[in-house]
Amino acid sequence: MFWLIKFAMCTMMPRTDALPGIADTDLDGFLRKMKSESEPLYWTGLVLGALVFVITPLITIGVPLPAFFLPMGLLQKHAERILGHRIYLLRQSALLVRLSAGMCWGADQSVRARFNLPPYGPDPGTFRTS
Amino acid sequence: MSHTAFQPPGPRVEQEFDYVVIGSGAGGATAAVTLARGGMRVAVIEAGPWRDPNDYPQTVYGAMRDMLDAWGSNFTRGRAFWPIVQGALVGGSTVINSAIAVRTPGDIFEQWERDHGVGGPVMADAMWRIQDDLERELHVEEVPEIALGRSNRLARKGADAVGYENHYMMRYVKGCRGDGQCLQGCRSDRKQSLNRNYIPEVLKRGGSVVSCAPVTRILFEGRRAVGVTGKFRHPQTKKRGAEFVVRAKKGVLVAASVTRSPLLLAKSGVKNRAIGKGFRAHPGAPVFGLYDDPVDMNTGATQGWASIAHREKPGFKLESLSLPLDMIAGRVAGTGNVLMERLTEFRHLAMWVQACRAETVGEVRSAWNGQPAVHYTLSRDDMVRFREGLYIVAATHAAAGAKAILPTIYGMPYKLLPNEVHKLKEAPLDPRAYISILSHLFGGCVMGKDPERSVCDERGRVHGYDGLHIADASAIPTNLGVNPQHTIMALARHWSEGILAEA
Repeated sequence: MFWLIKFAMCTMMPRTDALPGIADTDLDGFLRKMKSESEPLYWTGLVLGALVFVITPLITIGVPLPAFFLPMGLLQKHAERILGHRIYLLRQSALLVRLSAGMCWGADQSVRARFNLPPYGPDPGTFRTS
Repeated sequence: MSHTAFQPPGPRVEQEFDYVVIGSGAGGATAAVTLARGGMRVAVIEAGPWRDPNDYPQTVYGAMRDMLDAWGSNFTRGRAFWPIVQGALVGGSTVINSAIAVRTPGDIFEQWERDHGVGGPVMADAMWRIQDDLERELHVEEVPEIALGRSNRLARKGADAVGYENHYMMRYVKGCRGDGQCLQGCRSDRKQSLNRNYIPEVLKRGGSVVSCAPVTRILFEGRRAVGVTGKFRHPQTKKRGAEFVVRAKKGVLVAASVTRSPLLLAKSGVKNRAIGKGFRAHPGAPVFGLYDDPVDMNTGATQGWASIAHREKPGFKLESLSLPLDMIAGRVAGTGNVLMERLTEFRHLAMWVQACRAETVGEVRSAWNGQPAVHYTLSRDDMVRFREGLYIVAATHAAAGAKAILPTIYGMPYKLLPNEVHKLKEAPLDPRAYISILSHLFGGCVMGKDPERSVCDERGRVHGYDGLHIADASAIPTNLGVNPQHTIMALARHWSEGILAEA
């Protein structure tokens, strides 16, 4: 399901002249980690959010195609509309994808450097064992 | 005595102490240290692991994984899905909060007495005396100049210009450096979260800490609580480990949190119609201000400014709150090139929040998977309050010199000019239009005189049971309208002193 999530995230956070996109970060590593470490409910919500993103162009822009097949202009329009859709569940599912993308993007060293922020160290995941 | 962490499947781990305290957050840790100082042998049982500052994560992802209950994926069931944020490690939410210390307002004790038959001036005097002690013990101090940061200063400037009472925060922090990392745990060890002081003191006084140990059931002999049981759970693999049984010679104190304490009582067979009822919260939401010069909101105290000028009427409090880039990135509205363009302005954003003193009452129930399900939808009156709070925040940004206001409300423009903030007065009253979180929770095991309407009495004793006490915010029967940690700790100490006096 990584490809599905990556597609949605890369659409939402593309590279621009001013900033790296999420594709410029270690998104694969992030998703691998998230899949193995997150609560099943969270991961399921993320997969469903990405799936909803892909299958709803008919609802958002009236085009009966999965989002993969949309040209860039229409894809951006679809992304914009689903995040602002009047159906709460639709926009919330897309919001979960965007929030998760933001966690990956905003923690990346090259992105943080653009904002004059120090790089993050590792998340050790350690705890007292005795 | 000792700290026992995760134990793999094998022989059952058994211990016996005078008192067993379930949970190690503001209530549990304070109750435990108070009993330990009184000469009792105390075991603290915590579902999460014990992490020290070197173990703390740095990223938002790491904080969700290592510090939040259920990865922060608990949310309200109702018209809107609003996340419920709670810590799940030794020290509880005191590790991940902004360490804000606010005395319990006097009107709260009057309200408790009037509506629930508990509290009143005697309790008020006792709690305030305890809060004096807590402030000394945990180094409560105003945010020092060096740690203020521009966001907090701008908030002060804006509120002064609008003309309402406001102040820099009093916090349980010793020598804050303004690292802006309160929400991921203070790696520089300045914040006085309770895993750094009270819990180690319990150990020094002969107590025990059992971590990675979610309690599944309270044990009873007749109607007397005599211990707890559960199975260890590994913090990373989530695998179950050995069974543990910790027996209590004198009593069990439940401080597992507003969402977990009621479920634990219910699963343990405690009969009381009020269990899970009376859930309340401070739902909060932000408004961003966009400034000409960089604000760099992550420089300085995470929450260094506040106002309770509107606490009584209309009913909200205001605070600064700095979120890290990896949280803001997904929080700023928009997508694609538009989102990336907006994110270039990150350094120029200041974020301040309103937290509504909501009167809505919800309920904590058990979901299909045994996890807490909080049923809660803000009433229209509360949404009016909520919206009014956002308007005041926006007006404060405008008065502080923001060149634009970012309300982040569905159905509203992305940016408002300073002379357009009045438009917020017409913002939607549908909770689904807002991205809000619930951080301050109350109720579920509320205290009161009437056993039909409350779970415990004004000394925290569960009605109809011996040796079973509540010691966390689940006992608080009303919304405080101020940050609750100081009240939770004072209540836990007040009740623990009562236990000692009876022993």
